Amino acid sequence: MKFLRFLRLPTISDLGSILKVGPTAWGIAICLGVVAVGARYVSTYPLTILISLLVFAALAYSMNFITGLTGYVSFGHVVFMGLGAYAWGGVVGTFHWSPLGSVVIGGTVGLLFALGLGAVTLRFRGVYFAIASLVTALAAGNIILAIPALGGGQGIVLNLGFEPLSQFYTIWLILAIEVGLTYWVTHGRIGYGLRAIKGDEDAAKTLGIDVTRLKLFVFGLSGLFAGAVGSVNAWTVSGVFPEAAFALLFSLLMLAMVIVGGSGTFSGPLVGAVVVYIPHTYFLTVASGAEFIVIGAMVTFIALVVPEGIVGSIRRYIPILRGILE
Amino acid sequence: MPDASAIVDQLVFGVVYGLLLGCVFALLAHGLNLIWGIAKVVNIAHGEFIMLGAYGAFFLNLSLGFNPLQSAAIDAVIGLAVGLAFYFGVLHRELRGKEAMTPRSEMVTLVATFGLSLLIANAAKIAWTGDLVGIPWSAGSVSLGSLRIPMGGVYVAILSVAIIFLTHVFFTRTHLGLAIRAYSQDIPAAQLQGINPTFVSAFGTSLGFAATMAGGAFLTVMFPTGINPYMGALYAPISYVIVVLGGPGKMWGSLVGGLTLGVILHVGQVFLDSSIAAAIAFLTLIPVLIFRPEGILR
Repeated sequence: MKFLRFLRLPTISDLGSILKVGPTAWGIAICLGVVAVGARYVSTYPLTILISLLVFAALAYSMNFITGLTGYVSFGHVVFMGLGAYAWGGVVGTFHWSPLGSVVIGGTVGLLFALGLGAVTLRFRGVYFAIASLVTALAAGNIILAIPALGGGQGIVLNLGFEPLSQFYTIWLILAIEVGLTYWVTHGRIGYGLRAIKGDEDAAKTLGIDVTRLKLFVFGLSGLFAGAVGSVNAWTVSGVFPEAAFALLFSLLMLAMVIVGGSGTFSGPLVGAVVVYIPHTYFLTVASGAEFIVIGAMVTFIALVVPEGIVGSIRRYIPILRGILE
Repeated sequence: MPDASAIVDQLVFGVVYGLLLGCVFALLAHGLNLIWGIAKVVNIAHGEFIMLGAYGAFFLNLSLGFNPLQSAAIDAVIGLAVGLAFYFGVLHRELRGKEAMTPRSEMVTLVATFGLSLLIANAAKIAWTGDLVGIPWSAGSVSLGSLRIPMGGVYVAILSVAIIFLTHVFFTRTHLGLAIRAYSQDIPAAQLQGINPTFVSAFGTSLGFAATMAGGAFLTVMFPTGINPYMGALYAPISYVIVVLGGPGKMWGSLVGGLTLGVILHVGQVFLDSSIAAAIAFLTLIPVLIFRPEGILR
């Protein structure tokens, strides 16, 4: 297939260019390395905080693939998380597979659903795509509720025991792969194609960019990781519950992180995840409900005043940092 | 096997009640449609303004004893002011001086109104708690054979259709209405005719908000105990589906779409699980977008 040219295996000459990545990539890699080593030495409570922060970051990178890179706003992204979580819960609950291995199943279901859904809905532009994705998520949540084999309104309750370290390394690995793929996607041929689509899709088409396949490719990646993160998220609470698995708040948080951090940038989702995670967790303990007021105000302000987000604005207004921050 | 006549009765009830509900849905969608058609902005916080309209009716009933029909009129006036505030607070910055909606502005307004929806829903939850509240008002009911029709539902359905009809008259018979339509079709050409773009789009947005908030008050008649801060999360997607079904910018489209959706929801509940009926109602959007992206009306 012609498209597989994008996916060729790395050669020796590529290894050289992999070592020549910019300072941002090195920074993120060092952060991830420090976190990975440090996780063994911290106690359980900080570890659970770290796990949920990494879940946020992984969700932000998942959303960045579609909304950040192509500009297609996906309000219903939680559907991939929810289906991934249900696939994971079904496999773990029925066949007693290991929770770790079943995360792959969750990701695969997310990928397949994203490819199927994307083949239909990615033809719709702008708001039509946003609305189609929103109603798909709502419909999927409603359909799952009506399937007795999946526990109906009760969901799937599992008693897996508490294994924070293996959960941590699973979500760490997912995030690391996402960061690597985001770097590869934004710094190559695909990145040019995606930026062209974001700028003007019809013009991109006339330039010979295979718009449909490229969009489907990033949408599939996005669904794959959202499904995998949904499984890990279900693993941390040891069960799948319909209201929580399809809670639109997750889509909204993902979108908020991408917008706040800087959509389509390489480091933006990570910045956005930290910036959204801090008020989210702080107000959750101090004044529950206030966290979404803060996040909502932040998103509205950023969208209207600095639509490039934090990383995009820094790059725009401080030219010296342009070479360093990507 | 259940009695065949009982099923027919249920079916008739589903259709009648679905039509009544569909009229109110049509008004909710009509509010969204006005903003979508005129300012070319899809208001993701639409559901939150429906919720505010419903709470407006609730508090007016609590403090002054108004029934929801009276409250709807006051809600509509408040809606005009809220619409102006929304236009100048959120949209004006992005729409000012634009000759057409760019994909970038589209994304900015989607995301900004989405942030607003998070903000309003959660502020409402803190202010008024997350409990379900309702308005104890009933206009009695009439019996037609075995069918009991709530009169409150009939009143709000008639009023909803009347409001859509009046907007139609406004847009086809008055000078200002024609100016707004001209603006919605071609901004530079409208400006060449001496139409002030800011005024007409702000006015159109205000009208949309007035319809939305009045619709929120009417909704409390259809669902007497259904007011809570997160009710917008259900009615906003319903409104999007209706507008797309009818075609954005088409006034009678929202009525046709609303009636369609109301009947699908209620007749679906007769034969299927209510969550499956809701899923079907939502998913009708996808084939319409594929085969008739301009809406089911020509």
